[in-house]
Amino acid sequence: MEPDVSIDTSSMIRIAVIPVGEIHLHLFRKYAGMLARHHNIELSTITSFYTEHQKSPFTNQPWDSGSLRFKFIVGGSPPSPWEDFQSNRKIHAVIGICHCPSAPDLDTVVDQFAVACKGYSSSVVQRCFAFSPGDSQLADGKDRGNKLALFPPADQRTQEIHLQTMMQDIAASLLMEFEKWVLQAESGGTILKTPLDSQASLSSEEVIKAKKRRLGRAQKTIGDYCLLAGSPVDANNHYSTALELARLTGDYFWFAGAMEGGVCALLMDKAVHKDPVIEEEVKYRYNSVIVHYRKSFIQDNAQRVSPLSFELEATLKLARFLCRRDLAKEVVDLLTAAADGAKALIDASDRLILYIEIARLYGTLGYHRKAAFFSRQVAQLYLQQENNLAAISAMQVLALTTKAYRVQSRASIPKHAVFNDVGSSIADGGKMHHHLVVSLFESQWSTLQMVVLKEILLSAVRAGDPLAAWSAAARLLRSYYPLITPSGQNGLASALNNSAERLPSGTHCADPALPFVRLHSLPLHPSQMDIIKRNSAREDWWAGSAPSGPFIYTPFSKGESTNNSKQELVWVVGEPVQVLVELANPCGFDLLVNSIYLSVHSGNFDAFPISVTLPPNSSKVISLSGIPTKVGPVNIPGCLVHCFGVITEHFFKDVDNLLLGAAQGLVISDPFRCCGSGKLKTTAVPNITVVPSLPLLVSHIVGGDGAVILYEGEIRELWVSVANAGTVAVEQAHISLSGKNQDSVISIGYDALKSALPLKPGAEVTIPVTLKAWQLALVDHDAIASKSTFVNVTRPLKDASSPMLLIHYAGPAENQGELTESVSVVPPGRRLVTPLNVCVLQGLSFVKARLLSMEIPAHVGEISNKSSDNDSADRLVKIDPYRGSWGLRFLELELSNPTDVVFEVGVSVQLESDETSSEFDYPKTRIDRDYSARVLIPLEHFKLPVLDGSFLASNSLSNGDGKTSEKKKKKAELNAYIRKLISKIKVRWVSGRNSSGELHIKDATQAALQTSIMDVLLPDPLTFSFRLVKEVNSKDGGDVLAHDMTPMEVLVRNNTKDSISMNLSITCRDVAGENCIEGTNSAVLWSGALSGMKVDVPPLEEIKHSFCLYFLVPGEYTLLAAAVIDDPNEILRARAPSSSPDEPIFCRGPPYHVRVNGTL
Amino acid sequence: MASTACFMIISKNDIPIYEAEVGTAPKKEEAAHQHQFILHAALDVVQDLAWTTSAMFLKAIDRFNDLVVSVYVTAAIHTRLMLLHDSRNDDGIKSFFQEVHELYIKTLLNPLYLPGSRVTSSHFDTKVRALARRYL
Repeated sequence: MEPDVSIDTSSMIRIAVIPVGEIHLHLFRKYAGMLARHHNIELSTITSFYTEHQKSPFTNQPWDSGSLRFKFIVGGSPPSPWEDFQSNRKIHAVIGICHCPSAPDLDTVVDQFAVACKGYSSSVVQRCFAFSPGDSQLADGKDRGNKLALFPPADQRTQEIHLQTMMQDIAASLLMEFEKWVLQAESGGTILKTPLDSQASLSSEEVIKAKKRRLGRAQKTIGDYCLLAGSPVDANNHYSTALELARLTGDYFWFAGAMEGGVCALLMDKAVHKDPVIEEEVKYRYNSVIVHYRKSFIQDNAQRVSPLSFELEATLKLARFLCRRDLAKEVVDLLTAAADGAKALIDASDRLILYIEIARLYGTLGYHRKAAFFSRQVAQLYLQQENNLAAISAMQVLALTTKAYRVQSRASIPKHAVFNDVGSSIADGGKMHHHLVVSLFESQWSTLQMVVLKEILLSAVRAGDPLAAWSAAARLLRSYYPLITPSGQNGLASALNNSAERLPSGTHCADPALPFVRLHSLPLHPSQMDIIKRNSAREDWWAGSAPSGPFIYTPFSKGESTNNSKQELVWVVGEPVQVLVELANPCGFDLLVNSIYLSVHSGNFDAFPISVTLPPNSSKVISLSGIPTKVGPVNIPGCLVHCFGVITEHFFKDVDNLLLGAAQGLVISDPFRCCGSGKLKTTAVPNITVVPSLPLLVSHIVGGDGAVILYEGEIRELWVSVANAGTVAVEQAHISLSGKNQDSVISIGYDALKSALPLKPGAEVTIPVTLKAWQLALVDHDAIASKSTFVNVTRPLKDASSPMLLIHYAGPAENQGELTESVSVVPPGRRLVTPLNVCVLQGLSFVKARLLSMEIPAHVGEISNKSSDNDSADRLVKIDPYRGSWGLRFLELELSNPTDVVFEVGVSVQLESDETSSEFDYPKTRIDRDYSARVLIPLEHFKLPVLDGSFLASNSLSNGDGKTSEKKKKKAELNAYIRKLISKIKVRWVSGRNSSGELHIKDATQAALQTSIMDVLLPDPLTFSFRLVKEVNSKDGGDVLAHDMTPMEVLVRNNTKDSISMNLSITCRDVAGENCIEGTNSAVLWSGALSGMKVDVPPLEEIKHSFCLYFLVPGEYTLLAAAVIDDPNEILRARAPSSSPDEPIFCRGPPYHVRVNGTL
Repeated sequence: MASTACFMIISKNDIPIYEAEVGTAPKKEEAAHQHQFILHAALDVVQDLAWTTSAMFLKAIDRFNDLVVSVYVTAAIHTRLMLLHDSRNDDGIKSFFQEVHELYIKTLLNPLYLPGSRVTSSHFDTKVRALARRYL
């Protein structure tokens, strides 16, 4: 059988093209390619070369429209035994091709060509084309006769014309030779034989039969020559005769041959292929051809020769003729029939050709799977041949099938197709419709795919193509590892390694092997290096760039910003970045990745390779780093991996698709899941842009970055040192706070930073920060308390509660050394987050607060000092002697110390009474560990100086009808008072040498004070006090003696804004409480008025009333002043304990003690 | 008589979703590959032929050597039941296809079965093999 047969084949003149002399294969192919352009020589062009020696037998030759058709057999071919049967099988001409520079001696060339031509006995025209001859060769070659044609070096066009002329010459010579042959044959002298004819001795009857047949065969052969000579009408005439004769003699084989020639002549003549009538005719005749070939099958020599190949060729010719999509069914039937014939073919190479042709025809028809199937059959036949060339052919044929079986090497797919393939459909929001997902994994015929890849691997190994072998093994291992046993996987791994050994180092392969690489995450900048988009229009350029507030999602943010799924990422030139990728080795061997690094196509990124070893069935997250080198976008489609000796590019997208398929159950297995790695959301590579260098601040807390351990309420100053580690100066900086417990930062030394600007690279500045530890929440409180009973060291709580110092900073607004066009884009700023790690330990714990009211009687003897005595401030408890200490109120705080250190607690009260705010400290109270203590805070200084009506109105109204709005207002006012009061009280503590702080007692105090705030805040309407009126010369101050006249004064002060008239009376009682002035046995004598004194006290004034007492008995006496107020106004009434409005208001002063000493 | 038969269900995306060697001939791995290759190639023929006829059962649409491919094209979602066989028992094959089609529809009715994905139910497999024994 012959490859590439078609109906036209019968009309083609075969010309062998053979190399002569030394000629490089490449040149030979080039020259042969030039020849191939001249496969069709029109008869009209050869008239000048044609001379009619005799009357031409081709009487109906179409000189104006016909042509001679050449078929160049490059490299030549051995003679076919069927030459007589089909004349087109003969090599009618030989063209030698010689490259003169490599074959200097033309004589040798001519000799060699002559020798070569001997092999082609059927050739009638021989020419040797010598290309690029030198000058001497040109001169030499003139006398070589017409067998050697020299092609002087010239431009393409000239050479083409030269070649065309030579071909026309050959065509004319051939035509003349054909005429000669036909004339000779007509005169009857040729014996035509085929291998089909019986070799055995012929019986006489058969001899006669053979003689009869000879005529028919001669006619058929003449017809063949007519076809070759381009004269279909002549051919048809001869074929008709031949058909008649062959039918008469029962020579079915030649009958079929003649019929085949007839069809060719018909088509040549009519040349209208699309005409359905002709098509039907061709179909009809060819079916008959096939039938007759089949009929000519002779059983007795079936072992040796058989006309089967002609039958199959005829089938293929018809199939090729019909090969159109709309006739697919007929073609398929023909080809199926042809394929059936394959088994009966004797010659293996015939079968090969048959399958090749079938595959080609199916391919033309668009039946790629069918084509692939027969291509694979071809490859298997090649592989049976066990030699290198056949293996190469097998490999190449199999490579053609990969598309149909969808196991293509990526190298064979056009590059743009790879990128535009499915990525776009995945990109749109990550949600894909199911049918799209399915289409990604179309034709997952894993069994077939594995078989094909295995065969490619086998043929590539046999053909000695290590790269193809590597590629096939890589595809096999990567795609079908779950279906391959561990030993098979090992085998593939060693196949990969063996192939790599024969490849030069640094070879790239388009098909990735292992490991599977997927993008794990792109770590955002550590908070130290956050990049903030700068809004040049605003002074506070950082505002709005980061989400503020506690919610990740805010409904107020713009919709579009939440929509874009691709996040943006900014990298800075010269600052190393990291990308986390996950590698998986699902196979059963140790995988050594020699190096892996990010593959960046944009060329502005230096990636750092690292080496990894992956144990069997394992996955690993590794961090790949690199440095952006130039401003611009960065595109990271995948990783470059150097593994198994070959460099491959692994795209993240491929693995993403794979995982998507695995999730849908369409792919065999998920390599990451089977390695025990968790499910991961597919990470899209964000849009990364590289921006020019930015300043980089680095902070640390002076004295160590560890957490500062503070007791609740402790105040401590920290120093945060900030240094510029970048290459650009910081020109703007702003400090703010974020996180929880922001109010625990009392002050930030913002000025220190401000004054240091611009902060040059390498410069450093220290910012003082004052912290006050916050109160632990109640929950931790208990937890710590319960824990600390066993463990002495309380474990610092995991601190999310520490406040953070945010420093927004930026370099110059315009980047001077950079391109001018980028000026409009303000380089972004940065944010430095310095967590102020504070670990708050429980300090003094507050147990409870309550209000105590104490009654400390004043001694009259001790009140000799001036009333407006200010230096009494250092006394323990300040009691204003003139106002008495009756009803003195203390705030008692009960504190316990659960810690293991000693606290000293001091109370201080801010005095604002006399404009200059002074502080008043009480002595410290020491609280040992595990002890409790009570601290008393006198609430003496908070009394208002005036009993104001406006203030009291609240009270009066509150129990009245109640105008609620006013009431509320008053209440708020009252609360403000309380707050003010409380804020004046500070409970500070000191522990050890350098811990000090303040207790948070506000709430507790407020609760304690709430009920009796009135009593604390408001003064009595009248204050009474007694004092001794001393003689100036009195030596012993303060003592009252019995049996002595003691002059005394009672002072009554009006604390209201109205004048009060009252009835004042004074009583004196002894220890037993008996009245000593009135009664039967009064122990005290007196002078002056003691009761029923009518006095008027003007507003905010004080009156004195003098009297004298004479104590008869030494001992303790108590003086009491009381007053009945006449015509009390509203305020007084409100303050008074009485409820009835008619009752007189009775005011009583605090008791004053008088110690009366004996005279002894 | 040992018969060879390979049954496959091909989804509309030309993906095999079920495959079974249902012949009685001793199994050879090499042969199984070849069977699948033949069925895969026959898809080209089916794809054209299915539109030319209203019949669901397309008998002997393709062959290679002694092996014949018969196809049953389901109406709804163009799933193809393909059988590669060497016997000529057309009626049996037709009944086999009809019964398997019914089985396949039952599988489709399973709400957990994603149309177009592999049929992994062992019950289905058992039934198919039983049907093959009965009809082929």
